[in-house]
Amino acid sequence: MSTFHSIMLVASRDFKERISSRAFQMSTGITLLFVAGWIIIPAIFINNEPETWKIGIIGTEPAGLTSAIETASGHNAVVETVPYDSRDAAETAMETGDVQMAIDSSGSVLIDNDTGDQMQAAVITGLATIQISQRADELGIEITEITDLLTGGYQIESVTPPGTADTESNRVFAFFVTVILFMSIVTYGSWILIGVIEEKTNRVVEVVLGTLRPHHLLAGKVLGIGILGIAQILSIGVIALILLPLQDAFSVPSAAGSVLVWAFVWYVLGFAFYAVAYAAAGSLVSRQEEAQNAAFPLTMMLMAAYFIATFSITGENPVLMIASLLPMFAPMTMPLRIAGGDAATWELVLSLSLMVVSIYGLVRLAGRVYAGGLLQGAGRVKWREAFRASET
Amino acid sequence: MLEVDSLHKRYGDVVALDGCSFRVRRGQLLGFLGPNGSGKTTTMRSVFSLVRPESGMVRWDGKQIETAARLRFGYMPEQRGLYPRMKVAPQLVYFARLHGMEKAAARDAANRWLDRLGLADRATSRLEQLSHGNQQRIQLAAALIHDPDLLILDEPFSGLDPIGVEDMMKILVERAERGAAVVFSSHQLDLVEDLCEDVVIIAAGKVVLAGPIRELRARSSHRYLEIEIATSGSDLGHAFPQYEIVHSADGRIRLRVDDDTPLEPLIHIAAGLGKVRQFAYAPPNLSEVFREVVGQ
Repeated sequence: MSTFHSIMLVASRDFKERISSRAFQMSTGITLLFVAGWIIIPAIFINNEPETWKIGIIGTEPAGLTSAIETASGHNAVVETVPYDSRDAAETAMETGDVQMAIDSSGSVLIDNDTGDQMQAAVITGLATIQISQRADELGIEITEITDLLTGGYQIESVTPPGTADTESNRVFAFFVTVILFMSIVTYGSWILIGVIEEKTNRVVEVVLGTLRPHHLLAGKVLGIGILGIAQILSIGVIALILLPLQDAFSVPSAAGSVLVWAFVWYVLGFAFYAVAYAAAGSLVSRQEEAQNAAFPLTMMLMAAYFIATFSITGENPVLMIASLLPMFAPMTMPLRIAGGDAATWELVLSLSLMVVSIYGLVRLAGRVYAGGLLQGAGRVKWREAFRASET
Repeated sequence: MLEVDSLHKRYGDVVALDGCSFRVRRGQLLGFLGPNGSGKTTTMRSVFSLVRPESGMVRWDGKQIETAARLRFGYMPEQRGLYPRMKVAPQLVYFARLHGMEKAAARDAANRWLDRLGLADRATSRLEQLSHGNQQRIQLAAALIHDPDLLILDEPFSGLDPIGVEDMMKILVERAERGAAVVFSSHQLDLVEDLCEDVVIIAAGKVVLAGPIRELRARSSHRYLEIEIATSGSDLGHAFPQYEIVHSADGRIRLRVDDDTPLEPLIHIAAGLGKVRQFAYAPPNLSEVFREVVGQ
């Protein structure tokens, strides 16, 4: 049986057993419901429809009034006008709430305590716009000349090519991926930890290791649970993408393509690194109660990486720079630097090479610790002892 | 042919194996005996490379054991282990496939074994839902599912009821008859004596005795004498003061003598005690041989 077949066999067993377990289905279901609720509930309660403003008119309505006010409101409102014969009638209508304000064509705008500031400002601006364009017409001046006059004749031009997000939102996106990576490692890393300890406690590992090499078992386990984890995250992502358009304010983070690709690459590398390390940690203990102790150094490392990322979201600093080169911190810090455009090519190459080499080394090393640790009977095995116990 | 060739292994200051060597042919059923802590499990694990000896080698058909050869072996460890929450049939299929079987063949084999063990109706039960005895049966099936050329079982009879023991014996004999080399360890020596012709006895990591049980018994420098007197219901111990008494009760006595001890005086004493119902002179049984060589 080839290496590939052994690994895939282990991976598919771990994948199938977990996906068919009730605990997994429940937790996935609850997470999906939670995400869906988080998106749908605000969409129900937050009304993004434009408001309707009812404005009373005494006398003649200036031409183009409704559209001028709607423009002035930034199209957040739809304007309806109601004609009144007298100022008294308009005031009564304002008191009963039929209209929110009124315009007297003789030259006054009537408001009361219920009139919103935004509405008031939009009405005044709308009226002014009508006045200005009328006067401009009378004087034979084009309205554009007036706009030029108000802006000093300057045009605002963006030098960012269309469709490219700024570094700020790239960083936010990269940080978002870091948070997902952190949560994935915490969740699926502990599955791997528990899975390894279970096999050891059940002693089934003795039969399994009679047929394949320890690092194949380890790689299969990490792969099986890793794929399941990524599938779970993707299913949450798909649900989110389907439901998000329900919220009108929705906009997909428009990160640059390369930032997205790098974020994914580092996600996979980071997951692999920590998953393998968790598997090795699991092989050192023989009881579930000891799992957290065994994983403590890894959890600390992970927290450190996460905090460096959190404190560096605003931009480049020396700690971030050094951390982004070290394999245990790079997956959470390098994407930030790439997003900010701060990572030099040599840094990227160095960091990636160190990462890949250390994952390979860790698989071999962990395979050895795994073999040594798994066959030690009870109690907790020290890393060094486990390493020496096996020469695989 | 499995050759275990002068294995040495120590765990810290503890010597687990100290030059352990023996051979098993295809078609041979070998009892691998030894007191607790004598190195049986370590030896068995060495065959599967679960333990790396400091020196010595394990060979199969004259060659160092590679992964491909090892896939044709079956192993039932002393501490039983399967996946408790995995369903029975998929579990057997998984072990078959770990041993390199194709999916369809693995499924067939799993069904065949479940039929044979009378557990076909439990195929979709989780292992943990089965009784202890049935879990043991599945464990055996997991070791046999791929029709191994070499079968190694660590204490296969422990925890089995008499019917389970009988089933297990039948299966081991059948495997050997079909040409597999079968090695099993056990502390139930009367059972070993019934089951197999050859044994290896190991103590303190070294083989102290090996060969056909009949020869080993005959080779012993001791003989056992079993005397039963019909008319006497009492303890006969006082009548044989100069002989080593193994046990004595209710008109029966078992004596241990050297193989050159003359029997005439003993016959004379026995005849003087009353009506002799039994006077049996035989080499030691396997338990006695075992105790003699491991000094217990």
